[in-house]
Amino acid sequence: MATGFLTDTTVCIGCKACEVACKQWNQLPADGYELTGDSYDNTKQLSGTTWRHVAFIENPKKRRLTGDVDLVALAEGVTEPLPGGAELDALGRWAFMSDVCKHCVEAPCQQACPTGAIIRNEFDNVYIQPDVCNGCGYCVPACPYGVITQVPHDGRAFKCTLCYDRQKDGLEPACAKACPTDSIMFGEVEDLKVIAAERVQELHDKGYSRAYVYGTPEVGGTGGIGGNHSKFILMDEPETYNLPRHPFLPQEKVKGGTIASMVAGAVLGAVVALAFRDQGR
Amino acid sequence: MSERTRDQAQQSNGSVETSHHPATDPERKDKGYYGIPPIKHAHWTWQIPVYFWIGGIGAGVHLFSTIAQILGHKDEDLIRASRYTVLGTMILSPVLLIWDLGRPERFYNMLRVLKLRSPMSTQSWSVFAFGTLSGLISARQAADDGLLGDDNLLVRLVKLVPARFLSILSLPVGLNVGSNTGNLISATSVPLWARNWLFMGPTFLASGLSTALSWLSLVLHLTHSGEKKTMHTLHRAEKATILIEAGLIAASLIRMSKWSKPLFSREVAPLFVGGTLIGGILAPFALLFGKESRPKSILASVLALAGGLAFRFAIIKGGRISADDPEAYFTFASGDSAPQPEDKV
Ligand code: SF4
Ligand code: SF4
Repeated sequence: MATGFLTDTTVCIGCKACEVACKQWNQLPADGYELTGDSYDNTKQLSGTTWRHVAFIENPKKRRLTGDVDLVALAEGVTEPLPGGAELDALGRWAFMSDVCKHCVEAPCQQACPTGAIIRNEFDNVYIQPDVCNGCGYCVPACPYGVITQVPHDGRAFKCTLCYDRQKDGLEPACAKACPTDSIMFGEVEDLKVIAAERVQELHDKGYSRAYVYGTPEVGGTGGIGGNHSKFILMDEPETYNLPRHPFLPQEKVKGGTIASMVAGAVLGAVVALAFRDQGR
Repeated sequence: MSERTRDQAQQSNGSVETSHHPATDPERKDKGYYGIPPIKHAHWTWQIPVYFWIGGIGAGVHLFSTIAQILGHKDEDLIRASRYTVLGTMILSPVLLIWDLGRPERFYNMLRVLKLRSPMSTQSWSVFAFGTLSGLISARQAADDGLLGDDNLLVRLVKLVPARFLSILSLPVGLNVGSNTGNLISATSVPLWARNWLFMGPTFLASGLSTALSWLSLVLHLTHSGEKKTMHTLHRAEKATILIEAGLIAASLIRMSKWSKPLFSREVAPLFVGGTLIGGILAPFALLFGKESRPKSILASVLALAGGLAFRFAIIKGGRISADDPEAYFTFASGDSAPQPEDKV
């Protein structure tokens, strides 16, 4: 049995309740008071102390609409053809997205971890054992989604545990519990897949043809990673949400690099041996 | 909608500026989220590049002295200098590595599991094994040198250590210490490193060998020891190795293509172009030509050693810039440039 998240960004209202619930439940320290000026988002990104992060995506550049535009209709978010041939995708005007660890099927962080601190637990979630991690930090650049950081003052690396402790007690993760619009859904990965497909179909039927699921091996390509156990329904290019289009498994080439190094070792050894030529006499 | 905006809209003949669906905006060029890096850079501080450098020297010195022994080259000074050097590097390496840990007191967890897919794991085991073996080999050397006193039980025990055999045995592990550092950084999501998975290990190994040869000739010069023919061999090997290193760096740059840009940035170019390419490769190579002389050789050694250190710093710093650049990562992770499962090798 594998559990995971499905984060439907189309119904996210940007309330950040998930961020707060996560911080509270997991007793994560504050990150300081910073006013970034990046929309209303002052927490910026995922880190060792921010395991859910809600992105506020707006575009500062304006598009000039021409024609006799019905401003009231615009404000109300109408998607029907607008007067004067103007186009506007109401949902796309301001997108929110609650980001989280993707709980990769072939997790790069787990493969990187030299201490074996990162494991798959009984819920098939990627879990860092805090009593094993020695803070080498190798998982940090290994993660293709920039999820993990090493926490200063503590020294160890942290990320979303998918509320391992709550799951053990039969509870859903704090973020999913707190989400008022059910943008964050928690459940078995297989069930969530079905829900995601249905929801995307529904969105397509309503005319939002750009909706898709991010985090399945087929869509949103996860080269070598084999998909994500926390998936997202997105309405725009992955990059808009700061997600890579085709994340890759960095360990894919360890074997190749090692073979190349062996060849190099042999060649350099031969060069040294040749340098000794005529020297023995 | 405020009245003012409505008025403006009416005045401007019904056209109005609104926010919009970003993907449909033809003017939109920026990608990503307010320029915040989509991946996180490694937090490693100076200990790591210094370790890469020192470990490379240890590996290279061991390669040279082992081959000398295999070929029956009997220069006691060379063997002695080599064995103590390797021991020194293998004492410093774990110190530097443990220093950089967030929880240094848990360093032993590195030897909790062995994971062949994690270069950090194989690296830890290699340093452990190479360090242990070099400890034994150096103990034998110390006993032979009379540093352990004469003819006590310890000396008699240590003299049982088959130093030459252990040297050959530890050669593959030692080489892994030198090259695996390159594979370690390329097995990450950082474009500059990941793109160069094919040449990173070999380049680190070649650079390690060139610094090692420089170190040996420097030590032998400064201590006025070593046979003339050893020096000659060292210089020959140095020249060849520098050439190979230069070739590998060139191949790396070609492979990294546009993702090599950070190496030529204002912050890293002095280290990479000035320190590595000019100071560490061109200058020593030029100095090693012509008539051999002691000052020239010493200068060449110092330059090559410094160049090797600059190279490690350049690669680590370049990787940081690469990781912090959303554009680099997005372009890397959107096409076939990133390592793909179906790739050859
Ligand atoms: S998203 Fe990153 S931290 Fe989460 S499982 Fe994947 S590699 Fe690990
Ligand atoms: S920082 Fe901790 S969890 Fe991350 S790779 Fe190192 S030991 Fe593993």
